[in-house]
Amino acid sequence: MLQCIFLLSDSGEVMLEKQLTGHQVDRSICAWFWDQITCQGDSLKLLPVIASPTHYLFQVVREGITFLACTQVEMPPLMAIEFLSRVADVLSDYLGSLNEDLIKDNFVIVYELLDEMIDNGFPLTTEPNILREMIAPPNIVSKVLSVVTGNVSNMNNSLPGATSSCVPWRKTDLKHASNEVYVDLVEEMDAIINRDGALVKCEIYGEVQVNSHLSGLPDLTLSFANPSILNDVRFHPCVRLRPWEANQILSFVPPDGEFKLMSYRVKKLKSTPIYVKPQLSSDSGTCRISVLVGIRNDPGKSIESITVQFRLPPCVLSADLSANHGAVNILADKTCSWSIGRIPKDKAPSMSGTMALETGLERLNVFTSFQVSFRIMGVALSGLQIDKLDLKNLPSRPYKGFRALTRAGEFEVRS
Amino acid sequence: MAPPAQSQKSASPSQPSGKGEVSDVKMQLRQLAGSRSPGTDDAKRELFKKVISYMTIGIDVSSVFSEMVMCSATSDIVLKKMCYLYVGNYAKYNPDLALLTINFLQRDCKDEDPMIRGLALRSLCSLRVANLVEYLVGPLGTGLKDGNSYVRMVAAVGVLKLYHISASTCMDADFPAMLKHLMLNDKDAQVVANCLTSLQEIWGLEASASEEAARERETLLSKPVIYYFLNRIKEFSEWAQCIVLELVAKYVPSDSNEIFDVMNLLEDRLQHANGAVVLATIKMFLQLTLSMTDVHQQVYERIKAPLLTLVSSGSPEQSYAVLSHLHLLVMRAPFIFSSDYKHFYCQYNEPFYVKKLKLEMLTAVANESNTYDIVTELCEYAANVDIPMARESIRAVGKIALQQYDVNAIVDRLLQFLEMEKEHVTAETLVLVKDLLRKYPQWSHDCIAVVGNISSKNVQEPKAKAALIWMLGEYAQDMQDAPYILESLIENWDEEHSAEVRLHLLTAIMKCFLRRPPETQKALGAALAAGLADFHQDVHDRALFYYRLLKYNVTVAERVVDPPKQAVSVFADTQSSEIKDRIFDEFNSLSVVYQKPSYMFTDKEHRGPFAFSEELGNLSIDTELADNVVPAQRVEANDKDLLLSTSEKEDNHGASNNSSAYNAPSYDGSRMVGASQAQQDLVSLDQPPPANVPVSLAIDDLLGLGLPVVPSPAPSPPALKLNAKAVLDPNSFQQKWRQLPLAASQEISMNPQGVSALSSPQVLLRHMQGHSIHCIASGGQAPNFKFFFFAQKEDEPSTYLVECVINSSTCKAQLKIKADDQSTSQAFSALFESALSKFGLP
Repeated sequence: MLQCIFLLSDSGEVMLEKQLTGHQVDRSICAWFWDQITCQGDSLKLLPVIASPTHYLFQVVREGITFLACTQVEMPPLMAIEFLSRVADVLSDYLGSLNEDLIKDNFVIVYELLDEMIDNGFPLTTEPNILREMIAPPNIVSKVLSVVTGNVSNMNNSLPGATSSCVPWRKTDLKHASNEVYVDLVEEMDAIINRDGALVKCEIYGEVQVNSHLSGLPDLTLSFANPSILNDVRFHPCVRLRPWEANQILSFVPPDGEFKLMSYRVKKLKSTPIYVKPQLSSDSGTCRISVLVGIRNDPGKSIESITVQFRLPPCVLSADLSANHGAVNILADKTCSWSIGRIPKDKAPSMSGTMALETGLERLNVFTSFQVSFRIMGVALSGLQIDKLDLKNLPSRPYKGFRALTRAGEFEVRS
Repeated sequence: MAPPAQSQKSASPSQPSGKGEVSDVKMQLRQLAGSRSPGTDDAKRELFKKVISYMTIGIDVSSVFSEMVMCSATSDIVLKKMCYLYVGNYAKYNPDLALLTINFLQRDCKDEDPMIRGLALRSLCSLRVANLVEYLVGPLGTGLKDGNSYVRMVAAVGVLKLYHISASTCMDADFPAMLKHLMLNDKDAQVVANCLTSLQEIWGLEASASEEAARERETLLSKPVIYYFLNRIKEFSEWAQCIVLELVAKYVPSDSNEIFDVMNLLEDRLQHANGAVVLATIKMFLQLTLSMTDVHQQVYERIKAPLLTLVSSGSPEQSYAVLSHLHLLVMRAPFIFSSDYKHFYCQYNEPFYVKKLKLEMLTAVANESNTYDIVTELCEYAANVDIPMARESIRAVGKIALQQYDVNAIVDRLLQFLEMEKEHVTAETLVLVKDLLRKYPQWSHDCIAVVGNISSKNVQEPKAKAALIWMLGEYAQDMQDAPYILESLIENWDEEHSAEVRLHLLTAIMKCFLRRPPETQKALGAALAAGLADFHQDVHDRALFYYRLLKYNVTVAERVVDPPKQAVSVFADTQSSEIKDRIFDEFNSLSVVYQKPSYMFTDKEHRGPFAFSEELGNLSIDTELADNVVPAQRVEANDKDLLLSTSEKEDNHGASNNSSAYNAPSYDGSRMVGASQAQQDLVSLDQPPPANVPVSLAIDDLLGLGLPVVPSPAPSPPALKLNAKAVLDPNSFQQKWRQLPLAASQEISMNPQGVSALSSPQVLLRHMQGHSIHCIASGGQAPNFKFFFFAQKEDEPSTYLVECVINSSTCKAQLKIKADDQSTSQAFSALFESALSKFGLP
């Protein structure tokens, strides 16, 4: 049971305070909390769950905004953290993104949302579709409408029908002029590659994202060509679990709009689409570095936005790096970023240069890790394939769209 | 320029000073209050926004209360909401003015729009002004019967709010009964869930006072109610599901078939998108199968995949919370996770606290088949830029080495670390090599060769320096330079700031002297002289002690300072298994994140529904009602705190806002632990105590008080006599149980006749009383019964405490015994066992 929620700006200022129970939590807790952050140097270094002298605090940081919740009683920590993350998601959904100004400009809406999302410390509804029916988002349409009609309320006049329907995530009488549904496979590849180029670990975390604009109460079934490769799956509450257990078929009545239908994991992949080969050798106070990047396993579609990043070790005084393709930047925090983009047909991109070490240091004695990122449109690297999507209960033939995307998650190459 | 104005400005340079603006707003509101001209709502809205934004940044705007109320007559919902928000915030401090708002809130409660009815009711209940409760009862009663579920949902929580303002009003209006009816019949799941949370809390708090409430609270856990919730579980929102699962976890199914039914029904919850639901389900599965060993293991296998997925998806905060729970499970059953070790590999970008948990898990899951991979991975981290991480991973390598897998390769790796010539790596490695040598003396030659090459000038950290010095002393005969290195260290005695290092230096030079007297004599003299002049008491005492010892008899000195040593087989675990069990019982709570059972970090009044002290209450048949006494006290205390703090605030309003109420917490406890550990280290360095010998004995050894090095077995204690009329009140039982260490823990078999007689626990209680062992609390349902017994020695007030869990289907009893007088606990254990075994025999 949460007792209070605070929203803090990135300078520690209290932007919003929502007391949830009769026990009023004093604001000075935020000052204490901020002291902890400043002595850690970075809010990301502070544990998400900490004990202050008077309360237990949960913190979730999104886009520089700290969502801080306090309680004095035992409770499932994940419940608090999940809830705060959900608040952050809903807010950024409502406001378009998250930042200090947006929250300050729209604090009334934030209060309204929190009011519906949690009562007396217990979370109520966090389903964006339902909330949107209770509290209209501050979008341009409603602003225009309010100017035209003179009705400035951003409240809907009626209660969402879904609160009493048997499909709580969906309004019963939805009508769309064009019926369409899009299914996206979005995958992230997490990999660790050691200095010999061997794969230490490689797995894919994927999500099936659906964007549905369908009228009435449609019933969808989605099946995969090769569901057996999935290691573990989690579903949106709308998915009926029996058909999945019996035949690995996803059967569901979708919420309206965008939602995450399912997430999954595919373990033990055998190869990565690109290779990154760093080589470091040092001699009498300077260190030569060269990094080669190329295609290892052609996914069939072009690999885009390739970047390689690494942190210069603290013992490096200066670095002189250049690349035969793309741009190399060294940022203020000693992060070196090489953005390659696409790999050209005619040459293999490489970056090379020298780094000057601290005086007294003959050779580089620490290893850095290279973070690689890339995007491949049109391919799900796990190999997961959608077989077909059937729609029932629809007045007209809908448009169906499928896409796939793979990007690098935690893709790390060690030197 | 007028000075007062200036001072007012400078008071808060960054924020609007407040006063001026607030009175401006007050004026404007007053003008608007009576106006009915078009556009008034827009103007009001702007003003309301201003007031609330002042309130949000912490400016006191309570002075415009009456104006706000006057302006609240409006049909605009957003205006209403802002007004509700304002009123909710300030009503407490202005109870008289709050009365003004009652009127319009009550009117709104009758509005035709259900949304307004709901909102008004919620605000009405949130005023929390004690003398206004009479106005609450009517709207709440109609709210509970409202045709719209939104209003009923708000009313259900409203009842709980009313209860906290005035419990008697709530009970007199018979609201709990209405809630119960709604809970069991409403077709809207959210209404049902809100009724459940309210009822749980109300009956929990009432239970101590009224038997009826206690009975009602128990019916929540009865089979029909639980099944009712389970059957509807899919209708509930994800959060309500968590609450229901939490309730079901407290339910004790009557037999294993029922357990399987419940688990089958809920298995698909493990695939829910919300991690909180998954974790609540896992908790329930673990609790249900606790007594079924093989199924319990299957549960681990089943929950592995969902947990690992939860860790890799979601935000860092979520994965941390899951990881803490995974950590707990991995520590309990490492072998189940040993093939998943790659999941615990650390990524460069992860925050340190995540990496640390992962390292611990990597250490725990290491076995013959994966040690090579794991140690290779850990060595990667040791060379990492991140220094704390490098240290932790070296420690992890050491821990794995101490677990005895593939020691050979690990020692090589550790020695390579020493050659990396990085100060922090060398320091950590030295400490580890020292521990390794204590366990595997056979590696001394390999290690000494490398350690001998380390220049003591490159080692600055006290712990590492102490380790190096210990090795110099211990292996003085193998290291050519040992006496000279020690000598140079002693020459710099005054520059050595750490007392720990100086203590080690004294002991090392003693050992060196005993082995290579001619080379060391001079250095020893210098060391003893420096030690005697040392300002640190311990160093001084040790120097004096060595000096006198040497003067008395060198052979005795040798026996004391440098006796033949046994290799240490097991290093003491830092956390007792009992504490780990306790944390496991509190799965899916904060305890897991803090890695401490809740009684160790929550104040008594804040303890949640898992707290230990409650366990006794939970179990006792007679005082079943007491279950939620603690939360009851908690809330009362909170309320008192609250009253106190508000009144204080009024006294010194300005100051209290920025007062230093929250200083950084001081962790005296941990420091003390650290100190005592260091002391233990110190002692055991010189004299590794055999596993069972208490530390004090080892100190005696060190001091050479004539005790033999290996203690003779304790003389068999005289037959134990128990006091037949022993008395102990439950509070002191709890206290003792918490304080005392576990003296004995065992599993014994019972004879089947005895078990069959268990149908009524009273029989066993009377039987044990016949043996002067008294029961303080008991409970449980077939097949698991739990008893807490105590007994006292006949002639002295020394007590024994027993926790006894009897499983009637396996005829086994688990005993945990604690005793004031540890030495006689074995005797007592035997006595208890014989008494128990006689149970059921004619």
